[in-house]
Amino acid sequence: MKRFLPALTGLLLVAAAVGSLSVGVTHIDGFWRELFHPGHNEILWQIRFPRVVAALLVGGALAVAGLMAQGACNNALAEPSIVGTSAGASLATVIAILFGVVQVGSLGAIAFGVLGALLATALTFRLASLRSGLSSFALIIVGIAVTAILSAVVGISTSMVTRADARSISFWNFGSLSLITNSNLLGILATTAIGIAIAFRIAPSLDRLSLGDATAFNLGINVSRVRIGALIALSIAAGGAVSTVGTIAFLGLAAPHIARFIYGPAHRFLVIQSAIIGALVLVLADTAARTIAQPNELPIGLVTSLIGAPILIALVAMRNTTWKTQ
Amino acid sequence: MITINEITIEIAGREIIYNYSEQIPAGSITAIVGPNGCGKSTLLAAIAGSIVPTKGTITIDEVHPALSTPAQLAKIRAMAVQNQFYSLGFTVRQIIEMAGPATKIMQALELSNIADRHVTTLSGGESQRVAIAQAVAQDTPVLLLDEPLAAQDIASRKRIIEFLQNLAENGVTVVVVVHQAEKDLTWADKVIKDFL
Repeated sequence: MKRFLPALTGLLLVAAAVGSLSVGVTHIDGFWRELFHPGHNEILWQIRFPRVVAALLVGGALAVAGLMAQGACNNALAEPSIVGTSAGASLATVIAILFGVVQVGSLGAIAFGVLGALLATALTFRLASLRSGLSSFALIIVGIAVTAILSAVVGISTSMVTRADARSISFWNFGSLSLITNSNLLGILATTAIGIAIAFRIAPSLDRLSLGDATAFNLGINVSRVRIGALIALSIAAGGAVSTVGTIAFLGLAAPHIARFIYGPAHRFLVIQSAIIGALVLVLADTAARTIAQPNELPIGLVTSLIGAPILIALVAMRNTTWKTQ
Repeated sequence: MITINEITIEIAGREIIYNYSEQIPAGSITAIVGPNGCGKSTLLAAIAGSIVPTKGTITIDEVHPALSTPAQLAKIRAMAVQNQFYSLGFTVRQIIEMAGPATKIMQALELSNIADRHVTTLSGGESQRVAIAQAVAQDTPVLLLDEPLAAQDIASRKRIIEFLQNLAENGVTVVVVVHQAEKDLTWADKVIKDFL
C-alpha cells in the first residue's frame, strides 16, 4: 500500500486542482469542454487558472521552505514565519511597494521579497549564535523576536499610508491569492523551482546534519555550507511566495511533518513529497476560502490552519517515532 | 601513524591540553584513559579535525586534519561521538548506509535484528553500537571512538573489543577514549594516561 502513496497523493493533487478550477461564485457552462480550450473562457483562464496555479506553487514553496528551516536548524518547530524569513520578505516588499519602486506580485516585488527574506533569516541566525554555537532554543526565541519586530514595522508602515492601494497591501499582507493574475505566475514559478532545486541538491547532506553538527562533520559534510545552502533555498522559496501572496502561516510547519510521518525522514524524497502535500493543502484551503462564505472570502491562513492542524495532531497521535527531541 | 606534536588546546579561555606530544602507531588499538573533564574527548576531537589546536600540530600519515576539508578528512578518519543522539526516525540500516555498506557490519555488531527499527526508539547501548557501526562503515584507515563501551553490557562489550581487535589486525588504527573506571585495558596495544 505504502508504495502507491506517492502516486495516490499526486492523483489527489490533480483532482483537487481540477476541482478548484470548477467551483466558484460563477458557474462555468461546459466546464470540461472549456478546460481543454486554454484561454477561451475568461473566468476559467484569467481568474481561476492563475489562482489555482499560484496555490500549487506557493503551497509547494512554503512546504519546502519549512523543510529547509527544520533541516538547517535541526528543529521540529522551525518554519519561515518563525525564523523571521516571512516577516523579512513581507517588510522588504511592503517598503518597496509603498515607495512606489515595485507593484504587488511583480518580478521586482519578488526580488525585494527574496532579499528581505535572506537578510532577516541571516539576522536571526547571526543573533541566535552570538553568545555560543547555534542552539535550537535560541534560534526559535530570536526568530520569534525578529518576526515580531519586522511584522510590527510592516503593520505601522501600512497603517500610516493613506493611499488608495494601502488597503490592498494590508489584504495582501494577511495572505490572499485573490490578487494573482497570469502575469504573476512566472516569477513565483522561478523562485519555487530554484528553491526546490537547491533543496533537492543539499537533501542528502541534511540527512547527515540531523545527526548533529559533530557527526555530520565527521561524515565529511561542510556543515556551514550546507546550512547556508538551506537558508538560501528557504529564503528564495519563502521570499517569492510571501512577496506574491503575503504571509500564510502554519503550512511551512505542517506540510513537512505530514510528509515525514507518511514517508519517513530522508530529505531527498521529502523535498518532493512535502512540496506535493503543501500544494495539495493550499489548493484545498484556497478553494474552501473562496467558496464557503460566498460572496465573501475567508483569510486563507485561517483555513490552512484549520485543515493542516487536525491532520498534524492525528499523525502525532498515531506515531511518535518520527522526530525526537533531546 | 598519528603524530601529536606539542599541542596546546584552549577553549573559551580555558587551557584543556598543554604542550602535549604523542605518537599513536598504525594498525593498533590505543586507549586514552582519564577522569571526566580531563580533556580526553577534546584530544580525540582534535585528532578528528573538529577542534584546531591553539599551538602545535597533529598529523595523520602526513595529513594535517586542521588544514583539510571535511570531505578530505572523511576519507582518512572516522569518528563516533559520545552519546550520539538521533532526532529523526531513520532506520538503523539507513543511518549506517549514510557512511557505507551496512550488512556485514550490522552482523558483526549484532545489529541485524534491529536493522529496520527507528533509531529514535533505541536504548543508549544500541544507539552507541549504531554510531560505532556508522563510523566503521566509513571504511577509513583511522577509527576514533569516544567511550564506545560506556553503555554496553558484558556480551556487547566483549563483541565490540573483538571487532576492534580484528580491525586493528587488518591495519586500521583504532583510538578509543575510555573512562578511568574501566579497569581491564589488556585489549589495548597502547594506553595513554595522565596526558595533561
